[in-house]
Amino acid sequence: MLSKDFELLVLSFVQLIYVVTLAPLAVGILRKIEERIESKIGPSIFQEYYNLSKLFKKQSTYPITTSTLFEITPYLIFAMYLLLTLVLPIITAFPLTFGPVVDFIGGGLIFAAASTLKKIAALDTRNNYSILGASRASSIGVFTEPILLLIFIMFGVISGTNNPYVINNILQTSNLWYFSLTHIFIAAAFFFLLIIETGSLPIESDSSNELGMIDQSLNLEYSGKELALNDWGSYIKAFLLMNVFINVFTFPFFVPMQMNILNVLIYMFINFFKMLILIFIFALINTTLSKYRLMKIFDFISVGFAFALIAMIFFYTTKM
Amino acid sequence: MQNNIFILVGFIQIILIVFMQWQSYISTTIKTFDLSSWILGIFLLAIGIINREPTLIILAILTILTRAIFIPRYLLKTIKKDIWRVRESKNPLGVSLSIIISICLALFSYGLYSIALSNSGSVLESIPITLMLQGAFLIISKSNAYNQLIGYLVMENSIFLFGYIFSGLPFIVEAGIVLDILGIVLVSSIIMRLRKENIDNEEELYG
Repeated sequence: MLSKDFELLVLSFVQLIYVVTLAPLAVGILRKIEERIESKIGPSIFQEYYNLSKLFKKQSTYPITTSTLFEITPYLIFAMYLLLTLVLPIITAFPLTFGPVVDFIGGGLIFAAASTLKKIAALDTRNNYSILGASRASSIGVFTEPILLLIFIMFGVISGTNNPYVINNILQTSNLWYFSLTHIFIAAAFFFLLIIETGSLPIESDSSNELGMIDQSLNLEYSGKELALNDWGSYIKAFLLMNVFINVFTFPFFVPMQMNILNVLIYMFINFFKMLILIFIFALINTTLSKYRLMKIFDFISVGFAFALIAMIFFYTTKM
Repeated sequence: MQNNIFILVGFIQIILIVFMQWQSYISTTIKTFDLSSWILGIFLLAIGIINREPTLIILAILTILTRAIFIPRYLLKTIKKDIWRVRESKNPLGVSLSIIISICLALFSYGLYSIALSNSGSVLESIPITLMLQGAFLIISKSNAYNQLIGYLVMENSIFLFGYIFSGLPFIVEAGIVLDILGIVLVSSIIMRLRKENIDNEEELYG
């Protein structure tokens, strides 16, 4: 019989492998569905793996103006996303070995640190377009952060903690909280945030059109291994955020709450199935909506903020 | 149970008003108002059937007929004649700011309730107060005559929700309000014809 600590460590490793290997596949499936909706054949769903392996084989070049920070940033960011993979509830609803390291706010801070590093590295390149993207990304980030904080505060109200595992367990077991409008409004607010953070369509179109570029322009000067790591990191980020949305916010059911390796293995398939549904919704959004002009993004953000604030108002106005 | 449904309806109305603040196309705003009136009418109908109050049922049917069916269709029909009125072009406050203010009015009315009205009844009163303030804000934050008319109608809807909390208004008064609305819409559509609003071409290119 294996000791419990060892099992937790094994599960942490399984979770890491699960996220790191399937994140590109999720993006590949998203691209494929989008193309199918537009009646095209589209690339293979494994296309992102081919892209990454090609980039890893290529030589890296650096602009002459950059410092070492530019070179090490992709590795740092990738490491941060790997750390987040170990601490979020993805295939289990009980904390794994590194679970107690951070709570929701800590996770949010690591996400913020990664994006800040990315922006600083983009400023370091002195490429006009990168700097344009950094300024856009920071002005959007400034306004999305209050939504995130309000969501965390409201989750603190629901669960009494800021621990994603506890929130998952409470929503899984309590119908009262699951169907309360507070929870529904928070989930809606997080969906707005998810669209902004994953660079989905009303905010950012996935093309090389520099007029609407936000996040893509931060990568412009990278090449070779560093570009591959940056891309892979952003796939992992999208995968993690989608998983948080599914496992904590909208559909916390079936996530195993007790230590049982077989259940966890079965849940991995269920989890990917849930991801496929979310990916399909995103593909529908990406093919039916058109991009906002940059100034209109702030209207979108303010609607997200309105949802988060309404959750709070609802909680206090109906507290008898 | 009925209070829970009331809360649900009230918050859906708040969300729909925020959505109206967001939209710049007038036809979307009218359709959103249509939806909110349907929700209100069905809510009143359900309450009337559950409590076996024939006056409430008649009132609900009148609400659905006038606000959910007649007024939106009439407005959508008239808007086709003035093609330059289909969009809100001059937003005096800016959309995001007006959304935030509209939501903060909910906080304000909750504060108002807890300071001034908390002795008078249930905490649910703050929801119709919110809707009324948001409707008034819709009027002052938009420059288009159609949006202003809809802001007024939203205020009327909130009075109906108030009527649910303070039950006991005579039927003739409430039915009179419903029929007044028709007159208001007709009169204001004449005023809209007289009012000169136009789009400045440069403003269309803003941003």
